[in-house]
Amino acid sequence: MRRLLGFLTVLGLAAGLVMGFGVAPREATQGNVQRIMYLHVPSVWVAYLAFVVVLVASIVYLVRRSETADRLAHASAEVGVLFTGLTIATGSIWGKPTWGTWWTWDARLTSVSILFVMYLGYLLLRGMIEDRERGARFAAVLGIVTAFNIPLVHFSVLWWRTLHQPPSLMAPGPAPVPGIIKAALYVNFVAFTLLYGYFLTRRVRVLRLEAEAEA
Amino acid sequence: MPDNWAFVLAAYGLAVVVLVMYWRFLVRREHELEDAGIVRQQLRQGSRDPAA
Repeated sequence: MRRLLGFLTVLGLAAGLVMGFGVAPREATQGNVQRIMYLHVPSVWVAYLAFVVVLVASIVYLVRRSETADRLAHASAEVGVLFTGLTIATGSIWGKPTWGTWWTWDARLTSVSILFVMYLGYLLLRGMIEDRERGARFAAVLGIVTAFNIPLVHFSVLWWRTLHQPPSLMAPGPAPVPGIIKAALYVNFVAFTLLYGYFLTRRVRVLRLEAEAEA
Repeated sequence: MPDNWAFVLAAYGLAVVVLVMYWRFLVRREHELEDAGIVRQQLRQGSRDPAA
């Protein structure tokens, strides 16, 4: 099953590259540097998805005290932090040629950095508390509280005047991107979601094996 | 606007490096833990069977 998921992920990523570099046209205003979008936007999508999974798994853990839910939250937070870091880094690389700066304290960039630091704190908290059950309980509460930052990040470009462009997808009203670019984005969304699923299953298994080793 | 291919390459290159490194970390850790599990199982079986 995991091999199949891995195979589908590689296939999806290859299709995403073909769509992003072969099928989608050169963007008229930004030129080819806009192709970073096919990496940057799916990365932030995976980060959102991962943190929503942390939220749901944390609630399930607090209700049922399920170790599987705890492991799922832990693994998903780690993968989410990885993709948030990737989002910030690729955004910065994209920002330099288009905005003329690597970084600016604009609402989107600041809120996503806060999100990154908060989930980094979540992972540190898990590592700091020796009592496994207590650590899991504290992390679950933090996993729920931290999730309130996700809509703030997404809608920050609509609620405040920012340098960052409005959402390419998942925006109120018609999407501001043409059909072929949207199609390339969707293929990359699927590929990155598969990659998230693959990393998540592997990380959950590692956490299970670590728990068995400690028992 | 110029194409700035160097920036595109930097972004995709960075992503490849980070994702491959994380994948390798997961694979290695899993193998380590699986091997340790096999050793633990063999030790447990050995202690149960004193003739072995």
